[in-house]
Amino acid sequence: MISLQNVRKRFGAIDAVQDLTLTVPRGEIFGLLGHNGAGKSTAIGMMLGQVWPTRGEVKVCGHDVTTQRARALARVGAIFETPAFYDYLSGRRNLEILCQYSAPTPPERIREVVDWVGLTGREQSAVKTYSHGMRARLAIAQALLPQPELLIFDEPGSGLDPEGIAEMRGTIIRLHRELGLTILLSSHLLSEVEQICTRIAVLNQGRKVFEGRIADVKAGPGRVMLRTPDFAAAAAQLRERGIITNSAEGKFITLSEGRTTADAAKVLVEANLPVDGLWQEEQTLENFYLSLVRGESPANDQ
Amino acid sequence: MFFAQLKNELWKLFGKKRTYIGFGAFVLAQTVMLLMFKYTHWQREVERLLAGNGYLANEYISALTVSLVMVWPQILLLMPLYVALVGGDLVAKEAEDGTLRMILSRPISRLRLLQVKWLAGIIFAAVLVLVLGAIALGFARIYFPWKGMFVFGQTQPNVTFGIFTPEQGLTLYVVSTLFSIVNAVTLLSVAFMFSCYNMKPAAATILALSFLFSNMVIQHIPFFEPYQNWFITHHFESWFLVYQTPAPWAQILQSEITLAATCATAFIIGAIGFQLRDIKT
Repeated sequence: MISLQNVRKRFGAIDAVQDLTLTVPRGEIFGLLGHNGAGKSTAIGMMLGQVWPTRGEVKVCGHDVTTQRARALARVGAIFETPAFYDYLSGRRNLEILCQYSAPTPPERIREVVDWVGLTGREQSAVKTYSHGMRARLAIAQALLPQPELLIFDEPGSGLDPEGIAEMRGTIIRLHRELGLTILLSSHLLSEVEQICTRIAVLNQGRKVFEGRIADVKAGPGRVMLRTPDFAAAAAQLRERGIITNSAEGKFITLSEGRTTADAAKVLVEANLPVDGLWQEEQTLENFYLSLVRGESPANDQ
Repeated sequence: MFFAQLKNELWKLFGKKRTYIGFGAFVLAQTVMLLMFKYTHWQREVERLLAGNGYLANEYISALTVSLVMVWPQILLLMPLYVALVGGDLVAKEAEDGTLRMILSRPISRLRLLQVKWLAGIIFAAVLVLVLGAIALGFARIYFPWKGMFVFGQTQPNVTFGIFTPEQGLTLYVVSTLFSIVNAVTLLSVAFMFSCYNMKPAAATILALSFLFSNMVIQHIPFFEPYQNWFITHHFESWFLVYQTPAPWAQILQSEITLAATCATAFIIGAIGFQLRDIKT
């Protein structure tokens, strides 16, 4: 559905996105992760033809966004971090206005979408009277109007309370299950991404550092926690014996390929180094993400 | 789709309260001017001027004469302010509010979006000037009789002194109002041009007004007298030239063409800037 090939975006002297190659397959819920300024919004801006790539090719639904914008975006809906509307107009009028920028939309379709997002009865009220959650629902409604195949969410959970985040999560899952939409979302909320997404890509300082299935990430080996009075000495001994490749934060070690915690325990005992604890942590998206952005080498990196 | 999109832009424009500030200000200012003309020495001075030139003041202190007196300062001051305000808002306010990003996530081209916005702005400017002209005439008619029209005023380098029958006066009043629309559209287009670039709406409005006032100031410096044609404010005076006898139609036509070309140039420069810029939060 989305394909970015060697895309680069430069703002002045800063490379916001560098050599980004990314594929969002049809039918996936794809999470785009990264810290503030990692290039997520810039990448989404390029997918929507709002930001011009300095180099590279951006295709959406098989069409180049920069040269065939109308075709590329005909079946795409987008929802942004802070949904902006014409507050002085009613929700329905906002939908009527926004849908005219895509294609003629019959009133029945607007009614259907309003009903789907649960705004029936409030669609004639001015948007300025809407709560944050209602605005989020209206944002989803406007994105659904052109009967999209692809929905792009830019930080959908930002500014929502826990109840709103849970509602948004439920809505995204419904959109995927009931309407069969391909969804791309960028987010800081790793726990949400972990629950929703089927595939992720991680951006760090404008570069992609990982792309793969979230199931593979979670199936991969987690970090190994080592509790010992002298971590530095223990890590040095393990590294010397080729048991680990890395150590971090005075408590984590990364085992070399083919090595187990039992191997590590044996080496430490033989070296007369006391061991208070040694165990493999369950791999979470947060651990995986943090290891990526801190420059450690996760087992699943592609 | 074009007309549906244009209708959208008009909904957005006329759905906002601030759009009506201009109309409200015109009504207020015109009421004040009407009362000032009626109850101060202003009316006596006009009567003296007419009498001094051999005309019966009673025949020419009329609704048409007073409506032009009411309209003049507003065309020079209030009208530019409000069209620049709306023109500066057209794109920059949507960018500031974030709605522009919502629109541009849809398959509409940037050029088409600008076309409908600009056209909506032109319709606003035309409505504003027509309402201004109609309200002035309507208010003046309440207090003054329907008689001949007397026009006195100065545009560089001529002094206009005109005496017209009610029919002639009404025709000229309508024609001059139509030419005022061109002035309003031109300034709106300049504000719109700035609005297409990455700046706050207020900055676009201020830049357009600065452009207008710098033209006005430089135009009146004696050194620049031979270069009058280069100043937009010189061409803005053509609305008043219709009251000269005989009217310099060739000069008026030249000014109107220059203003139309200025509008087109402003649109093209704005469209290029808008096409090239990145739309980001």
